[in-house]
Amino acid sequence: MTSRPEYLPERLALLSGAQAADFLSAGLLEGREDVPSIALNKVAEPLSGDEARWLLHRVRDLVDDALAMFGGGRPTVADAWLAPRLHDTLRLTRAEAADKGLWAYLALGVAPDYVVWRHAPGPNPDGSPGSVARDRFVGTLDKQTFARLWWAAELFRDGVDYRPAEVACGNQEMFNSALRLDIIDHRPTAQAFISLIESGTVGTGREVNALLAAANAAAATLMYDVIAPDVERDGGAVREWIAAAESAIPPPRHRLPEGPAEERVPEESVRKLAAHFGELFREGRVRGRTSRENE
Amino acid sequence: MRAYPYPRLTGAVTARVTAVRLRGAGECREVLDYVKACSAIEQVVALGTAERDDWHTACLSLSATVPAREIRNKGHWSDVSVVAVLTDGATNVRTVARLEPGAGGSGEWTGEIELNRDQHLDRASLAVHVVATVGGVPGRVIASMERDWVVDVTAEAPSRDQELDVTSVSFGRGAEWLRELRDAPWVVDTSGRLPTVRLNSDFEGLVALMESEGTPTEKAVAEVLRAHMCAEVWAAVFHTAIGDIEIEEDGTPQFPPDWRGAVLREMLPDVVPTRSLEDALREVHRRRVGEGSWADLQPRIHYAAARRAKVPQALAATVRGIERLDQETHA
Repeated sequence: MTSRPEYLPERLALLSGAQAADFLSAGLLEGREDVPSIALNKVAEPLSGDEARWLLHRVRDLVDDALAMFGGGRPTVADAWLAPRLHDTLRLTRAEAADKGLWAYLALGVAPDYVVWRHAPGPNPDGSPGSVARDRFVGTLDKQTFARLWWAAELFRDGVDYRPAEVACGNQEMFNSALRLDIIDHRPTAQAFISLIESGTVGTGREVNALLAAANAAAATLMYDVIAPDVERDGGAVREWIAAAESAIPPPRHRLPEGPAEERVPEESVRKLAAHFGELFREGRVRGRTSRENE
Repeated sequence: MRAYPYPRLTGAVTARVTAVRLRGAGECREVLDYVKACSAIEQVVALGTAERDDWHTACLSLSATVPAREIRNKGHWSDVSVVAVLTDGATNVRTVARLEPGAGGSGEWTGEIELNRDQHLDRASLAVHVVATVGGVPGRVIASMERDWVVDVTAEAPSRDQELDVTSVSFGRGAEWLRELRDAPWVVDTSGRLPTVRLNSDFEGLVALMESEGTPTEKAVAEVLRAHMCAEVWAAVFHTAIGDIEIEEDGTPQFPPDWRGAVLREMLPDVVPTRSLEDALREVHRRRVGEGSWADLQPRIHYAAARRAKVPQALAATVRGIERLDQETHA
């Protein structure tokens, strides 16, 4: 199995796509090889400034904890635990979190062993080793191992409360599909999905997919922002949260950390949308059944 | 054209950014020079024109015009509201502001929307929609502005075209991957946020030539080279974008949310003409993954790239320039 990098510098760095490509060997993707960490850090570009949030060991310690807790079990279970804690440990602006260079460095320079453990597909039918998909190391924000966790926590948290993010990441279908949809950029929409999972209206992958498809299609003609408005946020709370990284302690392992002290999503808006989506979902299901019966 | 299951406005909705104010910590306040920062024709706001760098919020004043008479006369719509929506696909940002109607039902709606600097890397897009209750259903979009405004967080001029970033570095003493390419005069790097051209400062005379204020011949050569590099950038970006594409579960390829998507939208009509953008994307993707010929498409990709980079124009001008120089020398 790919192991923890031998050399871990003090600070995090950025790794461009072209640079990262040189390290994505077939051996690494099959989990047989390690990343040559000294060579990698020679080409990576360390983050400037002396902010504490760029300290590499903070992220690595968290990954070590995740591996210690979940290493023996099903890797998908680790997502719901790691997402809020990674978000709390790595306090980024959205602009910083949109930079693929940081995520590529985390995957190759900080925790390639985690990427391989979490996303190894198991052996192929012919017995040859399966390969981790490249996009788990360098892919888009909804595919890359660490970016998808961070962004799920960011888009599904309700102000300080990471619990909804934990729910989202605990449902693989919601986690995999929702991040690709623009509609979840509207906070009440994201929270309404969580409330439908929590109330048991949807649960299985098929149900979650049907719900997301219906809500997404309806958004082509409906403005959810008008039906269910969100509050205005000025960004001050996020700036304070980032500044507080200087004195932050590691996130608690057994209860959830607290996120940026932004205003909560208005309950009334979540309730309205949950009712609306619930309706769409039931209509879709009824239609689905009838059409199957008619076949 | 799309069909909608409810009546929509036929008249046009237009909107204009009328002023930009910046706010920062403490007393930081700045009103941007409208002429320098905004282009009403291109519909672009360039926030890089700010004099101070410590701002964190930009407040855009907006004025929208909606077909008020049509709304009144047809009577299909109630609870009409006009909203501005600022989105950024790269950072998943969606900010919404409601505009207020002007006096006398003139169809002029005004308001303000805020942009948080930390939440954007380069470009956000600003749309205006008219929303109403139709047939008992609230929240229906009954009209949208035809073309979004672009709000560029870093640009120093309000233009839709993004400038080509050219930097010169020593390949021999540069990063490891550049050292391996030390004989190359330049390379195109599409892996970053925006594509850049790196000129090799070890290549004797190249940087001087490109920055040339020298003889007409030198200038003409520099012009052709620049167009040529530019074409390489377009072609490289096209390939990067196609290689990076996301596929929906039903197999439909998606346009990337950032500039890569913009590049594809611009080039596809030249690469696969006579098809809709979505169809063209599907076709190109199909060929790249090995169904149908990827090689056959290459000349078209290069044609589209050269067209964007204005290679024919640059070359024609140079040919004429050289002829003129020859005539002068022989005269």
